[in-house]
Amino acid sequence: MAPSRHIPDHSGRRLKWLLTGAALCCVAMSAQAQTPVFEIEIREHLFYPSELKIPAGQKVKLIIHNRDATPEEFESYELNREKVIIGNTQGIVFIGPLKPGEYPFFGEFNPKTALGKVIVE
Amino acid sequence: MTSAVIIVLREVLEAVLIICMLLASSSALGLRFRWLPPALLAGLAGALIYAVFLEDISMAFEGFGQEIVNAVLLLLITLLLLAHNILAMREFKAPQIARLPALSLLILSATIAMAIVREGSEIYLYVYSYGVVAGDMTSVLAGGAIGTGIGFSLGTFIYYGLRTLSARHCLLFSSIMALIIGAGMSSQAALFLAQADLVPAAEPLWDTSALVAESSLMGELLQAVIGYEASPIAAQVGMFAGALLLSLVAMAIGIFSVRNLPARAGATQTQRSHE
Repeated sequence: MAPSRHIPDHSGRRLKWLLTGAALCCVAMSAQAQTPVFEIEIREHLFYPSELKIPAGQKVKLIIHNRDATPEEFESYELNREKVIIGNTQGIVFIGPLKPGEYPFFGEFNPKTALGKVIVE
Repeated sequence: MTSAVIIVLREVLEAVLIICMLLASSSALGLRFRWLPPALLAGLAGALIYAVFLEDISMAFEGFGQEIVNAVLLLLITLLLLAHNILAMREFKAPQIARLPALSLLILSATIAMAIVREGSEIYLYVYSYGVVAGDMTSVLAGGAIGTGIGFSLGTFIYYGLRTLSARHCLLFSSIMALIIGAGMSSQAALFLAQADLVPAAEPLWDTSALVAESSLMGELLQAVIGYEASPIAAQVGMFAGALLLSLVAMAIGIFSVRNLPARAGATQTQRSHE
């Protein structure tokens, strides 16, 4: 008698966990969806656009497309970011949340030409 | 050419610091340098593999493979430096009687190899694509050689600086350097995880870039030595403090692990004065 009473009890608890898990996933996914996405391109060792405006106090997803055949390292002392992007591929970095201001970035392999900045406002 | 100098010097600096510091402890631990060439070769091979497969590695883990590999490498180096500190403190407390040569060799070699992998791969990518493929070989190689030269002269300075000390003081200084370098590397690992959105995003805690800019020469040096960060996030500060604390605990473990051995400080002191 005892086991049969236990089985439905157990599966009910499992269902509850499953639903909680699903709900958490939805929350996580909607939080993910709210992260604004910005894109920049590297062409002929230059950044396009070279100035990027992003909102203050918010995490942002930055996709960097390297259209050159050569690799580049997206680097910024102010944003505290560095990532090598192989030629003809793209790289993602998350930046922020940041206070309003200007945050310069550069291509480490072409530090004289590949210059840009993120403007947070 | 000046860009090549700076690019290579920046990458070389961190690895050179670790290599020269560990070479100094290696001789204070009574080890010969025969372990160095295999360790360097392993590091260079690792760097080559990392560079060649960087595209695939970058695509792994939803586009954050690079960040994860870098963070893991940095944390492994931190742990190895911690192990170095245990060994160094054993020798500090009980000179010449509590040596673990095989383990020491393994730890020193692995640390140096891993320190070369990350920085070496970036240098390889730069030299290969801008020198070999883009055909700017002379300026890239000349600049690279100068950058490497400056890095290694700095390293020689550190090595001989440490070697002028007595073996025990050399080990103590090396351990303190290892402790600080390790803390800086852990903080850098936190940064890579933040870049990949694997630690909670947060605004920087403070900003000292007006005092010492990270892009200045002083900033670069401080970055290589103490992991200086002008605007750190909480995760970085936490990792820095945590690694510092763990390393101090490791040093205490090293000292306590040999405290019951017969003290032969007098005997070893006279021995060293003959060396």
